[in-house]
Amino acid sequence: MANRTYEVMYIIDPETPAERVEKLNEAVSSLIQKEGGEIVRMDDIGMRELAYPIQKKTEGHYVLFEINGSGQEIAELERRMRVNDMIIRYVTVRVDEERKTAEKLRTKRETRATKRAAFRNQVPVETAEVQAEA
Amino acid sequence: MADNEMEVLNDRGDLGVGEDVIGDRPRRYNRKRPRQVIPDYVDWKDVDFLRQFVPERGKIMPRRISGISARDQRRLAKAIKRARSMALLPFVAD
Repeated sequence: MANRTYEVMYIIDPETPAERVEKLNEAVSSLIQKEGGEIVRMDDIGMRELAYPIQKKTEGHYVLFEINGSGQEIAELERRMRVNDMIIRYVTVRVDEERKTAEKLRTKRETRATKRAAFRNQVPVETAEVQAEA
Repeated sequence: MADNEMEVLNDRGDLGVGEDVIGDRPRRYNRKRPRQVIPDYVDWKDVDFLRQFVPERGKIMPRRISGISARDQRRLAKAIKRARSMALLPFVAD
């Protein structure tokens, strides 16, 4: 079905022991796969200072997932994250559309550049050199 | 001397773009417009890049100062707001 790309990032309570963090990450990835999502990238960013305190904590353990899927797994994942008290903050961002527009911009620029280069080659050598210097 | 006189005259008389009269003295904005290269995809996780557009106070730098295009400003603002929600950037800093 609809194939979308999401970035899911969550912050885990800094006081959580390391093995529980690992377990949680595993649980998240297995949940995504069970719901039919595909994990493109999993990045355990680690401890990072928060820009402002959340629940009286000044740092947090950041984890980032990049997921390909239909959106169902996101709904389920968000539901679980909401009730999990180890996770102090989470966010999901859909990135495929923005990436697509970025790609479009890039190809547009490239075709324009090649066109310009082709035009430059037509101009007599002297003027072309002057342009290159400028 | 002649050159100096000319300058004084210009400062008083000419109120062009980028000048504002506060009190009796025209104040000139710092209208620097550096050519900022904004990538096609503004990543909300790239804190070091976004920091360039968030001065100490934590506010988003206006386009007037940063000199970037309207489209880039919109994309940038969105990225900064996303970063804020995940405590990557402050809402207010003091």
